[in-house]
Amino acid sequence: MLWLLIAPTAILLTAFMYYPMVGTVIESFYQTSFINPRPQFAGWAIYEKVLASREFSEILWNSVVWTLGVVLLQNVLGFLVALLLNQGLPAQGLLRAIVLLPWILPGVVTAILWRFMYDPQLGLINSILIRLGLLEDNVAWLAESRTAMAAVIFAAVWKGFPFSMLIYLAALQNVDREQIEAATIDGAGPLRRLIDVTLPAIRDVVAVNVVLTMILTFNYFDLVWVLTRGGPQNATHIFPTRIFETGFGQFRFGEAAAYGVFSILVLAVLVAFYVIVQRANAARRHTA
Amino acid sequence: MRRSLPARFGLALLQMAVAAFVLIPFFWMLSVSLKPTTEPFAIPARLWPEAPTLANYVTAFRPEFRDYFLNSVVVSLSTVAITVTLGLLAAYAFSRARLLVITGLMSLVVLAQMFPHSAIIIPIYKMMRAADLLNTYTSLIVAYVSVTLPVAIWMLHGFLAKLPVSLEEAANIDGAGPIRVFWEIVVPLARPGIIATAVYVLIVTWQEFLFALSFTSSKAMRTLPVGLNDFIGQYGIRYGELMASSVMVSVPVVAVFFLLQRYFVAGLTAGAVKG
Repeated sequence: MLWLLIAPTAILLTAFMYYPMVGTVIESFYQTSFINPRPQFAGWAIYEKVLASREFSEILWNSVVWTLGVVLLQNVLGFLVALLLNQGLPAQGLLRAIVLLPWILPGVVTAILWRFMYDPQLGLINSILIRLGLLEDNVAWLAESRTAMAAVIFAAVWKGFPFSMLIYLAALQNVDREQIEAATIDGAGPLRRLIDVTLPAIRDVVAVNVVLTMILTFNYFDLVWVLTRGGPQNATHIFPTRIFETGFGQFRFGEAAAYGVFSILVLAVLVAFYVIVQRANAARRHTA
Repeated sequence: MRRSLPARFGLALLQMAVAAFVLIPFFWMLSVSLKPTTEPFAIPARLWPEAPTLANYVTAFRPEFRDYFLNSVVVSLSTVAITVTLGLLAAYAFSRARLLVITGLMSLVVLAQMFPHSAIIIPIYKMMRAADLLNTYTSLIVAYVSVTLPVAIWMLHGFLAKLPVSLEEAANIDGAGPIRVFWEIVVPLARPGIIATAVYVLIVTWQEFLFALSFTSSKAMRTLPVGLNDFIGQYGIRYGELMASSVMVSVPVVAVFFLLQRYFVAGLTAGAVKG
Protein backbone atom coordinates (compact mmCIF):
# COMPACT_ATOMS: atom_id res chain seq x y z
CA MET A 1 0.00 0.00 0.00
CA LEU A 2 2.65 2.51 1.06
CA TRP A 3 4.74 1.54 -1.97
CA LEU A 4 1.87 2.51 -4.22
CA LEU A 5 1.82 6.03 -2.76
CA ILE A 6 5.53 6.46 -3.40
CA ALA A 7 5.52 4.91 -6.89
CA PRO A 8 4.71 8.04 -8.97
CA THR A 9 7.37 10.06 -7.16
CA ALA A 10 9.90 7.25 -7.45
CA ILE A 11 9.31 6.95 -11.20
CA LEU A 12 9.55 10.69 -11.83
CA LEU A 13 12.65 11.22 -9.71
CA THR A 14 14.38 8.21 -11.22
CA ALA A 15 13.63 9.24 -14.78
CA PHE A 16 14.13 13.02 -14.51
CA MET A 17 16.57 13.52 -11.63
CA TYR A 18 18.70 10.42 -11.01
CA TYR A 19 18.96 9.07 -14.54
CA PRO A 20 20.00 12.51 -15.92
CA MET A 21 22.83 12.64 -13.36
CA VAL A 22 24.19 9.44 -14.91
CA GLY A 23 23.22 10.66 -18.38
CA THR A 24 25.38 13.75 -18.00
CA VAL A 25 28.40 11.63 -17.16
CA ILE A 26 27.82 9.47 -20.26
CA GLU A 27 27.19 12.54 -22.39
CA SER A 28 30.54 14.03 -21.38
CA PHE A 29 32.38 11.30 -23.30
CA TYR A 30 30.65 12.06 -26.60
CA GLN A 31 31.55 14.90 -28.92
CA THR A 32 28.84 16.87 -30.74
CA SER A 33 28.81 20.24 -32.44
CA PHE A 34 26.43 22.44 -34.35
CA ILE A 35 27.88 21.31 -37.69
CA ASN A 36 28.14 17.67 -36.65
CA PRO A 37 25.29 16.88 -34.27
CA ARG A 38 25.80 13.08 -34.37
CA PRO A 39 27.48 12.08 -31.07
CA GLN A 40 30.93 10.55 -31.53
CA PHE A 41 32.78 8.76 -28.77
CA ALA A 42 35.66 10.93 -27.64
CA GLY A 43 37.02 9.16 -24.56
CA TRP A 44 38.76 11.57 -22.20
CA ALA A 45 39.45 14.05 -25.00
CA ILE A 46 36.74 16.51 -23.91
CA TYR A 47 37.97 16.51 -20.32
CA GLU A 48 41.55 17.06 -21.45
CA LYS A 49 40.49 19.96 -23.61
CA VAL A 50 38.36 21.52 -20.87
CA LEU A 51 40.99 21.11 -18.16
CA ALA A 52 43.71 22.58 -20.36
CA SER A 53 41.65 25.66 -21.24
CA ARG A 54 42.19 28.94 -19.43
CA GLU A 55 38.44 29.31 -19.36
CA PHE A 56 38.01 26.40 -17.02
CA SER A 57 40.19 27.93 -14.34
CA GLU A 58 38.44 31.27 -14.83
CA ILE A 59 35.05 29.67 -14.33
CA LEU A 60 36.21 27.70 -11.31
CA TRP A 61 37.63 30.85 -9.74
CA ASN A 62 34.50 32.88 -10.58
CA SER A 63 32.29 30.20 -9.04
CA VAL A 64 34.30 30.30 -5.83
CA VAL A 65 34.18 34.11 -5.62
CA TRP A 66 30.50 34.21 -6.53
CA THR A 67 29.45 31.48 -4.11
CA LEU A 68 31.53 32.60 -1.14
CA GLY A 69 30.71 36.29 -1.73
CA VAL A 70 26.97 35.77 -1.93
CA VAL A 71 26.83 33.26 0.93
CA LEU A 72 28.92 35.35 3.30
CA LEU A 73 27.13 38.66 2.67
CA GLN A 74 23.67 37.11 2.47
CA ASN A 75 24.06 35.28 5.78
CA VAL A 76 25.62 38.20 7.64
CA LEU A 77 22.99 40.62 6.38
CA GLY A 78 20.20 38.11 6.93
CA PHE A 79 21.36 37.49 10.49
CA LEU A 80 21.70 41.18 11.35
CA VAL A 81 18.24 41.98 9.98
CA ALA A 82 16.81 38.99 11.86
CA LEU A 83 18.35 40.38 15.06
CA LEU A 84 16.76 43.75 14.34
CA LEU A 85 13.38 42.13 13.69
CA ASN A 86 13.64 40.18 16.93
CA GLN A 87 13.82 43.26 19.18
CA GLY A 88 10.08 43.67 19.72
CA LEU A 89 10.06 47.05 17.99
CA PRO A 90 6.98 48.77 16.59
CA ALA A 91 6.08 48.05 12.92
CA GLN A 92 7.96 44.76 13.10
CA GLY A 93 5.40 42.71 11.13
CA LEU A 94 5.27 45.34 8.41
CA LEU A 95 9.05 45.45 8.11
CA ARG A 96 9.26 41.66 7.90
CA ALA A 97 6.72 41.65 5.07
CA ILE A 98 8.67 44.39 3.25
CA VAL A 99 11.98 42.59 3.66
CA LEU A 100 10.54 39.42 2.09
CA LEU A 101 9.62 41.23 -1.15
CA PRO A 102 12.90 40.74 -3.04
CA TRP A 103 12.84 37.03 -2.34
CA ILE A 104 9.40 36.58 -3.92
CA LEU A 105 10.29 38.71 -6.91
CA PRO A 106 10.93 36.39 -9.91
CA GLY A 107 14.64 35.98 -10.71
CA VAL A 108 14.37 37.36 -14.24
CA VAL A 109 12.47 40.42 -12.98
CA THR A 110 15.15 41.00 -10.34
CA ALA A 111 17.83 40.75 -13.01
CA ILE A 112 16.07 43.21 -15.35
CA LEU A 113 15.51 45.62 -12.47
CA TRP A 114 19.19 45.53 -11.50
CA ARG A 115 20.36 45.82 -15.11
CA PHE A 116 18.47 49.05 -15.12
CA MET A 117 19.80 50.09 -11.67
CA TYR A 118 23.35 49.60 -13.00
CA ASP A 119 22.75 51.30 -16.36
CA PRO A 120 25.66 53.75 -16.80
CA GLN A 121 23.57 56.69 -18.03
CA LEU A 122 20.03 56.06 -16.80
CA GLY A 123 20.66 53.94 -13.72
CA LEU A 124 19.89 54.90 -10.17
CA ILE A 125 23.16 53.60 -8.71
CA ASN A 126 25.34 56.07 -10.62
CA SER A 127 22.98 58.98 -9.95
CA ILE A 128 22.91 58.29 -6.23
CA LEU A 129 26.67 57.83 -5.97
CA ILE A 130 27.38 60.96 -8.01
CA ARG A 131 24.90 63.02 -6.03
CA LEU A 132 26.49 61.82 -2.79
CA GLY A 133 29.86 62.82 -4.19
CA LEU A 134 31.22 59.26 -3.98
CA LEU A 135 31.70 59.00 -7.72
CA GLU A 136 32.85 61.50 -10.33
CA ASP A 137 32.00 59.81 -13.61
CA ASN A 138 29.45 57.21 -14.67
CA VAL A 139 30.66 53.65 -14.19
CA ALA A 140 29.44 50.83 -16.47
CA TRP A 141 29.20 48.41 -13.55
CA LEU A 142 28.17 45.34 -15.54
CA ALA A 143 30.36 46.02 -18.57
CA GLU A 144 33.71 46.32 -16.81
CA SER A 145 35.62 43.22 -15.77
CA ARG A 146 36.75 44.89 -12.56
CA THR A 147 33.25 45.63 -11.24
CA ALA A 148 30.94 43.10 -12.95
CA MET A 149 31.30 40.29 -10.42
CA ALA A 150 30.83 42.58 -7.42
CA ALA A 151 27.75 44.10 -9.05
CA VAL A 152 26.22 40.69 -9.73
CA ILE A 153 26.95 39.55 -6.16
CA PHE A 154 25.35 42.67 -4.72
CA ALA A 155 22.13 42.09 -6.69
CA ALA A 156 22.08 38.44 -5.62
CA VAL A 157 22.49 39.40 -1.97
CA TRP A 158 19.63 41.89 -2.26
CA LYS A 159 17.43 39.10 -3.59
CA GLY A 160 18.67 36.31 -1.33
CA PHE A 161 19.14 37.77 2.16
CA PRO A 162 15.40 37.63 3.07
CA PHE A 163 15.55 33.83 2.90
CA SER A 164 18.44 33.66 5.37
CA MET A 165 16.74 36.30 7.52
CA LEU A 166 13.55 34.24 7.73
CA ILE A 167 15.40 31.14 8.91
CA TYR A 168 17.54 33.05 11.42
CA LEU A 169 14.48 34.86 12.74
CA ALA A 170 12.69 31.58 13.38
CA ALA A 171 15.79 30.26 15.14
CA LEU A 172 16.12 33.40 17.27
CA GLN A 173 12.51 33.10 18.35
CA ASN A 174 13.28 29.59 19.59
CA VAL A 175 16.13 30.74 21.86
CA ASP A 176 15.29 30.19 25.50
CA ARG A 177 14.19 33.55 26.95
CA GLU A 178 15.05 32.50 30.49
CA GLN A 179 18.71 32.00 29.58
CA ILE A 180 18.86 35.49 28.11
CA GLU A 181 17.21 36.97 31.19
CA ALA A 182 19.55 35.06 33.48
CA ALA A 183 22.53 36.46 31.56
CA THR A 184 21.08 39.96 31.82
CA ILE A 185 20.73 39.61 35.60
CA ASP A 186 24.34 38.43 35.73
CA GLY A 187 25.23 41.77 34.17
CA ALA A 188 25.95 40.70 30.57
CA GLY A 189 25.49 43.48 28.02
CA PRO A 190 23.77 42.96 24.64
CA LEU A 191 26.98 41.96 22.87
CA ARG A 192 27.98 39.44 25.58
CA ARG A 193 24.47 37.95 25.51
CA LEU A 194 24.71 37.60 21.74
CA ILE A 195 28.09 35.86 21.88
CA ASP A 196 27.55 33.75 25.01
CA VAL A 197 23.87 32.80 24.79
CA THR A 198 22.28 33.47 21.40
CA LEU A 199 25.04 32.33 19.04
CA PRO A 200 25.70 28.99 20.77
CA ALA A 201 21.95 28.34 20.84
CA ILE A 202 21.52 28.79 17.09
CA ARG A 203 24.86 27.48 15.81
CA ASP A 204 23.19 24.38 14.33
CA VAL A 205 20.87 26.53 12.27
CA VAL A 206 23.73 28.77 11.17
CA ALA A 207 25.81 25.82 9.99
CA VAL A 208 22.95 24.23 8.05
CA ASN A 209 21.90 27.56 6.57
CA VAL A 210 25.39 28.43 5.35
CA VAL A 211 25.88 25.10 3.57
CA LEU A 212 22.35 25.21 2.14
CA THR A 213 22.77 28.70 0.70
CA MET A 214 26.14 27.60 -0.71
CA ILE A 215 24.46 24.79 -2.64
CA LEU A 216 21.64 27.04 -3.88
CA THR A 217 24.02 29.84 -4.87
CA PHE A 218 26.45 27.57 -6.69
CA ASN A 219 23.50 26.31 -8.78
CA TYR A 220 21.88 29.69 -9.43
CA PHE A 221 21.51 30.55 -13.10
CA ASP A 222 18.80 33.17 -13.73
CA LEU A 223 20.32 36.28 -12.24
CA VAL A 224 23.82 35.99 -13.71
CA TRP A 225 22.56 34.96 -17.13
CA VAL A 226 20.12 37.85 -17.53
CA LEU A 227 22.48 40.41 -15.97
CA THR A 228 25.67 39.66 -17.90
CA ARG A 229 25.44 36.39 -19.91
CA GLY A 230 28.71 35.54 -18.16
CA GLY A 231 30.55 38.57 -19.55
CA PRO A 232 32.43 40.82 -19.90
CA GLN A 233 35.22 38.51 -21.13
CA ASN A 234 34.03 35.64 -18.92
CA ALA A 235 34.34 37.83 -15.82
CA THR A 236 31.06 36.52 -14.40
CA HIS A 237 30.82 33.12 -16.08
CA ILE A 238 30.00 30.44 -13.52
CA PHE A 239 29.26 26.75 -14.05
CA PRO A 240 25.50 27.03 -14.75
CA THR A 241 25.88 29.86 -17.29
CA ARG A 242 28.80 28.14 -19.01
CA ILE A 243 26.88 24.86 -19.28
CA PHE A 244 23.85 26.58 -20.76
CA GLU A 245 25.87 28.63 -23.23
CA THR A 246 27.97 25.68 -24.42
CA GLY A 247 25.03 23.26 -24.60
CA PHE A 248 22.15 25.34 -25.89
CA GLY A 249 24.01 28.24 -27.48
CA GLN A 250 26.69 26.25 -29.31
CA PHE A 251 25.20 22.73 -29.24
CA ARG A 252 28.46 21.32 -27.89
CA PHE A 253 26.61 18.99 -25.53
CA GLY A 254 29.66 16.88 -24.69
CA GLU A 255 31.65 19.84 -23.45
CA ALA A 256 28.64 21.25 -21.59
CA ALA A 257 28.18 17.86 -19.92
CA ALA A 258 31.85 17.82 -18.89
CA TYR A 259 31.32 21.15 -17.15
CA GLY A 260 28.20 19.59 -15.65
CA VAL A 261 30.23 16.69 -14.25
CA PHE A 262 32.68 19.11 -12.63
CA SER A 263 29.84 21.03 -11.05
CA ILE A 264 28.36 17.75 -9.77
CA LEU A 265 31.73 16.95 -8.16
CA VAL A 266 31.85 20.34 -6.42
CA LEU A 267 28.29 19.86 -5.22
CA ALA A 268 29.04 16.37 -3.97
CA VAL A 269 31.64 17.91 -1.67
CA LEU A 270 29.14 20.53 -0.45
CA VAL A 271 26.40 17.93 0.06
CA ALA A 272 28.83 15.75 2.01
CA PHE A 273 29.50 18.78 4.21
CA TYR A 274 25.78 19.26 4.64
CA VAL A 275 25.28 15.67 5.73
CA ILE A 276 28.21 15.85 8.17
CA VAL A 277 26.85 19.07 9.69
CA GLN A 278 23.37 17.57 10.01
CA ARG A 279 24.76 14.38 11.62
CA ALA A 280 26.85 16.38 14.07
CA ASN A 281 23.83 18.50 14.99
CA ALA A 282 21.65 15.45 15.51
CA ALA A 283 24.32 13.77 17.63
CA ARG A 284 24.67 16.86 19.79
CA ARG A 285 20.91 17.12 20.26
CA HIS A 286 20.93 13.50 21.28
CA THR A 287 23.53 13.89 23.98
CA ALA A 288 22.22 17.25 25.21
CA MET B 1 12.62 45.34 27.76
CA ARG B 2 12.97 49.08 28.46
CA ARG B 3 15.25 51.04 26.24
CA SER B 4 16.69 54.53 26.46
CA LEU B 5 15.46 57.15 24.05
CA PRO B 6 18.67 57.31 21.97
CA ALA B 7 18.64 53.51 21.67
CA ARG B 8 15.07 53.52 20.44
CA PHE B 9 15.89 56.28 17.99
CA GLY B 10 18.89 54.38 16.67
CA LEU B 11 16.91 51.18 16.19
CA ALA B 12 14.16 53.05 14.35
CA LEU B 13 16.81 54.53 12.05
CA LEU B 14 18.18 51.06 11.37
CA GLN B 15 14.69 49.81 10.57
CA MET B 16 14.25 52.63 8.10
CA ALA B 17 17.63 51.92 6.51
CA VAL B 18 16.68 48.27 5.96
CA ALA B 19 13.31 49.26 4.50
CA ALA B 20 15.02 51.76 2.18
CA PHE B 21 17.60 49.22 1.01
CA VAL B 22 14.80 46.84 0.05
CA LEU B 23 12.25 49.31 -1.25
CA ILE B 24 14.22 51.83 -3.31
CA PRO B 25 14.66 49.47 -6.30
CA PHE B 26 10.95 48.54 -6.13
CA PHE B 27 9.92 52.15 -5.89
CA TRP B 28 12.04 52.97 -8.88
CA MET B 29 10.63 50.09 -10.93
CA LEU B 30 7.12 51.40 -10.27
CA SER B 31 8.09 54.98 -10.91
CA VAL B 32 9.73 54.24 -14.28
CA SER B 33 6.79 52.05 -15.31
CA LEU B 34 4.49 55.06 -14.69
CA LYS B 35 6.63 57.54 -16.60
CA PRO B 36 5.17 58.75 -19.87
CA THR B 37 7.37 57.78 -22.82
CA THR B 38 7.50 61.43 -23.79
CA GLU B 39 9.10 62.43 -20.49
CA PRO B 40 12.77 62.14 -21.34
CA PHE B 41 14.99 60.42 -18.84
CA ALA B 42 16.28 62.98 -16.45
CA ILE B 43 20.02 62.78 -15.94
CA PRO B 44 20.71 62.18 -13.13
CA ALA B 45 17.67 59.94 -12.72
CA ARG B 46 14.61 61.40 -11.01
CA LEU B 47 12.80 59.23 -8.49
CA TRP B 48 9.15 60.03 -9.21
CA PRO B 49 7.53 60.93 -12.58
CA GLU B 50 6.00 64.38 -13.03
CA ALA B 51 2.88 63.12 -14.80
CA PRO B 52 2.25 59.44 -13.97
CA THR B 53 0.41 57.43 -16.64
CA LEU B 54 -0.56 53.83 -17.33
CA ALA B 55 0.46 54.13 -20.99
CA ASN B 56 3.44 51.77 -20.55
CA TYR B 57 1.16 49.10 -19.13
CA VAL B 58 -1.24 49.39 -22.05
CA THR B 59 1.61 49.07 -24.56
CA ALA B 60 3.34 46.28 -22.64
CA PHE B 61 0.17 44.21 -22.45
CA ARG B 62 0.68 43.23 -26.08
CA PRO B 63 -0.61 39.96 -27.60
CA GLU B 64 2.68 38.09 -27.03
CA PHE B 65 2.65 39.10 -23.39
CA ARG B 66 -0.87 37.72 -23.05
CA ASP B 67 0.26 34.42 -24.64
CA TYR B 68 3.22 34.16 -22.27
CA PHE B 69 0.96 34.97 -19.35
CA LEU B 70 -1.48 32.23 -20.30
CA ASN B 71 1.38 29.74 -20.77
CA SER B 72 2.77 30.60 -17.35
CA VAL B 73 -0.63 30.22 -15.71
CA VAL B 74 -1.27 26.82 -17.31
CA VAL B 75 2.19 25.44 -16.54
CA SER B 76 2.35 26.81 -12.98
CA LEU B 77 -1.12 25.77 -11.88
CA SER B 78 -0.75 22.28 -13.38
CA THR B 79 2.60 21.88 -11.66
CA VAL B 80 1.23 23.04 -8.30
CA ALA B 81 -1.73 20.65 -8.53
CA ILE B 82 0.31 17.61 -9.57
CA THR B 83 3.28 18.24 -7.26
CA VAL B 84 1.13 18.83 -4.19
CA THR B 85 -0.99 15.72 -4.88
CA LEU B 86 1.94 13.39 -5.56
CA GLY B 87 3.99 14.99 -2.81
CA LEU B 88 1.24 14.57 -0.25
CA LEU B 89 0.82 10.89 -1.07
CA ALA B 90 4.55 10.23 -0.91
CA ALA B 91 5.10 12.33 2.22
CA TYR B 92 2.27 10.47 3.94
CA ALA B 93 3.83 7.14 3.08
CA PHE B 94 7.25 8.32 4.27
CA SER B 95 5.88 9.68 7.53
CA ARG B 96 3.88 6.54 8.38
CA ALA B 97 6.33 3.90 7.19
CA ARG B 98 8.27 1.85 9.71
CA LEU B 99 10.31 -0.04 7.12
CA LEU B 100 13.93 1.06 6.94
CA VAL B 101 13.90 0.70 3.14
CA ILE B 102 11.21 3.34 2.81
CA THR B 103 12.74 5.83 5.23
CA GLY B 104 16.02 5.31 3.38
CA LEU B 105 14.29 6.32 0.15
CA MET B 106 13.29 9.55 1.87
CA SER B 107 16.95 10.59 2.05
CA LEU B 108 17.26 10.01 -1.70
CA VAL B 109 14.33 12.39 -2.17
CA VAL B 110 15.92 15.01 0.08
CA LEU B 111 19.23 14.60 -1.76
CA ALA B 112 17.56 15.28 -5.11
CA GLN B 113 16.60 18.82 -4.10
CA MET B 114 20.28 19.73 -4.23
CA PHE B 115 20.91 18.53 -7.79
CA PRO B 116 22.16 21.25 -10.12
CA HIS B 117 19.52 21.83 -12.79
CA SER B 118 22.09 23.03 -15.29
CA ALA B 119 23.96 19.73 -14.97
CA ILE B 120 20.96 17.45 -15.51
CA ILE B 121 19.22 19.47 -18.18
CA ILE B 122 21.00 18.04 -21.24
CA PRO B 123 19.83 14.42 -20.77
CA ILE B 124 16.31 15.67 -19.94
CA TYR B 125 16.34 17.84 -23.06
CA LYS B 126 17.39 14.86 -25.19
CA MET B 127 14.62 12.70 -23.70
CA MET B 128 12.03 15.37 -24.42
CA ARG B 129 13.37 15.80 -27.94
CA ALA B 130 13.26 12.04 -28.56
CA ALA B 131 9.66 11.93 -27.31
CA ASP B 132 8.84 14.92 -29.53
CA LEU B 133 7.75 16.92 -26.50
CA LEU B 134 9.85 20.07 -26.93
CA ASN B 135 7.67 23.18 -27.17
CA THR B 136 4.82 21.56 -25.27
CA TYR B 137 3.29 22.24 -21.89
CA THR B 138 3.91 18.58 -21.05
CA SER B 139 7.71 18.89 -21.21
CA LEU B 140 7.71 21.84 -18.83
CA ILE B 141 5.16 20.38 -16.44
CA VAL B 142 6.97 17.04 -16.22
CA ALA B 143 10.30 18.77 -15.58
CA TYR B 144 8.80 21.17 -13.02
CA VAL B 145 6.96 18.43 -11.14
CA SER B 146 10.19 16.44 -10.94
CA VAL B 147 12.31 19.30 -9.64
CA THR B 148 9.72 20.62 -7.15
CA LEU B 149 8.66 17.25 -5.72
CA PRO B 150 11.70 16.81 -3.42
CA VAL B 151 11.18 20.13 -1.59
CA ALA B 152 7.41 19.61 -1.52
CA ILE B 153 7.79 16.17 0.05
CA TRP B 154 10.31 17.53 2.53
CA MET B 155 7.98 20.36 3.60
CA LEU B 156 4.86 18.14 3.77
CA HIS B 157 6.77 15.45 5.63
CA GLY B 158 7.59 18.00 8.33
CA PHE B 159 3.87 18.63 8.83
CA LEU B 160 2.62 15.07 8.60
CA ALA B 161 5.25 13.75 10.99
CA LYS B 162 3.83 16.04 13.67
CA LEU B 163 0.20 14.88 13.28
CA PRO B 164 -0.85 12.41 15.98
CA VAL B 165 -1.17 8.90 14.54
CA SER B 166 -3.70 8.07 17.29
CA LEU B 167 -6.45 9.97 15.41
CA GLU B 168 -5.95 7.80 12.35
CA GLU B 169 -5.88 4.65 14.47
CA ALA B 170 -9.11 5.65 16.19
CA ALA B 171 -10.81 6.23 12.84
CA ASN B 172 -9.48 2.87 11.70
CA ILE B 173 -11.05 1.14 14.69
CA ASP B 174 -14.31 2.91 13.91
CA GLY B 175 -14.24 1.12 10.58
CA ALA B 176 -12.98 3.88 8.25
CA GLY B 177 -10.92 2.51 5.34
CA PRO B 178 -7.47 3.90 4.52
CA ILE B 179 -8.81 6.19 1.78
CA ARG B 180 -11.41 7.73 4.08
CA VAL B 181 -8.84 8.15 6.86
CA PHE B 182 -6.51 9.93 4.45
CA TRP B 183 -9.19 12.12 2.93
CA GLU B 184 -11.19 12.99 6.04
CA ILE B 185 -8.51 13.09 8.73
CA VAL B 186 -5.05 13.57 7.27
CA VAL B 187 -5.82 16.08 4.51
CA PRO B 188 -7.85 18.51 6.67
CA LEU B 189 -5.27 18.41 9.47
CA ALA B 190 -2.40 18.97 7.04
CA ARG B 191 -4.14 21.90 5.33
CA PRO B 192 -1.71 24.61 6.54
CA GLY B 193 1.19 22.50 5.29
CA ILE B 194 -0.52 21.88 1.97
CA ILE B 195 -1.11 25.61 1.48
CA ALA B 196 2.48 26.46 2.43
CA THR B 197 3.81 23.87 -0.01
CA ALA B 198 1.51 25.03 -2.80
CA VAL B 199 2.69 28.64 -2.37
CA TYR B 200 6.31 27.53 -2.44
CA VAL B 201 5.84 25.47 -5.60
CA LEU B 202 4.00 28.37 -7.23
CA ILE B 203 6.78 30.85 -6.44
CA VAL B 204 9.42 28.49 -7.82
CA THR B 205 7.50 27.52 -10.95
CA TRP B 206 6.26 31.00 -11.84
CA GLN B 207 9.85 32.23 -12.12
CA GLU B 208 11.51 29.10 -13.53
CA PHE B 209 13.82 30.16 -16.31
CA LEU B 210 16.42 27.55 -17.28
CA PHE B 211 14.09 24.73 -18.39
CA ALA B 212 11.66 27.13 -20.05
CA LEU B 213 14.51 28.78 -21.95
CA SER B 214 15.90 25.43 -23.14
CA PHE B 215 12.65 23.62 -23.96
CA THR B 216 10.70 26.34 -25.75
CA SER B 217 12.23 27.52 -28.99
CA SER B 218 8.82 28.43 -30.42
CA LYS B 219 7.65 31.85 -29.33
CA ALA B 220 4.08 30.69 -28.88
CA MET B 221 5.08 28.32 -26.06
CA ARG B 222 7.28 30.63 -23.99
CA THR B 223 6.52 31.46 -20.40
CA LEU B 224 6.76 34.91 -18.81
CA PRO B 225 10.39 34.75 -17.57
CA VAL B 226 11.64 33.73 -21.03
CA GLY B 227 9.37 36.29 -22.66
CA LEU B 228 10.72 39.04 -20.40
CA ASN B 229 14.26 38.00 -21.24
CA ASP B 230 13.40 38.33 -24.95
CA PHE B 231 11.99 41.80 -24.34
CA ILE B 232 15.43 43.01 -23.16
CA GLY B 233 16.73 42.43 -26.66
CA GLN B 234 13.65 43.80 -28.41
CA TYR B 235 12.75 46.75 -26.22
CA GLY B 236 16.02 47.20 -24.32
CA ILE B 237 16.03 50.96 -24.46
CA ARG B 238 12.33 51.27 -23.62
CA TYR B 239 12.76 50.77 -19.90
CA GLY B 240 9.26 52.09 -19.18
CA GLU B 241 7.64 49.16 -20.98
CA LEU B 242 10.17 46.72 -19.59
CA MET B 243 9.41 47.84 -16.03
CA ALA B 244 5.65 47.75 -16.66
CA SER B 245 5.97 44.15 -17.91
CA SER B 246 8.11 43.30 -14.89
CA VAL B 247 5.48 44.67 -12.52
CA MET B 248 2.74 42.68 -14.27
CA VAL B 249 4.83 39.49 -14.04
CA SER B 250 5.47 40.01 -10.32
CA VAL B 251 2.02 41.06 -9.11
CA PRO B 252 0.38 37.58 -9.17
CA VAL B 253 3.03 35.87 -6.99
CA VAL B 254 3.42 38.81 -4.66
CA ALA B 255 -0.37 38.92 -4.15
CA VAL B 256 -0.64 35.17 -3.49
CA PHE B 257 2.30 35.34 -1.14
CA PHE B 258 0.86 38.14 0.97
CA LEU B 259 -2.57 36.52 1.12
CA LEU B 260 -1.12 33.25 2.39
CA GLN B 261 2.00 34.53 4.11
CA ARG B 262 1.28 33.26 7.59
CA TYR B 263 0.96 29.65 6.42
CA PHE B 264 3.98 29.92 4.26
CA VAL B 265 6.45 31.42 6.73
CA ALA B 266 5.48 28.87 9.37
CA GLY B 267 5.72 25.99 6.89
CA LEU B 268 9.11 26.89 5.52
CA THR B 269 10.83 27.72 8.79
CA ALA B 270 9.37 24.78 10.72
CA GLY B 271 11.25 22.31 8.54
CA ALA B 272 14.39 24.39 8.19
CA VAL B 273 14.92 25.13 11.87
CA LYS B 274 14.06 21.63 12.96
CA GLY B 275 16.80 20.50 10.51
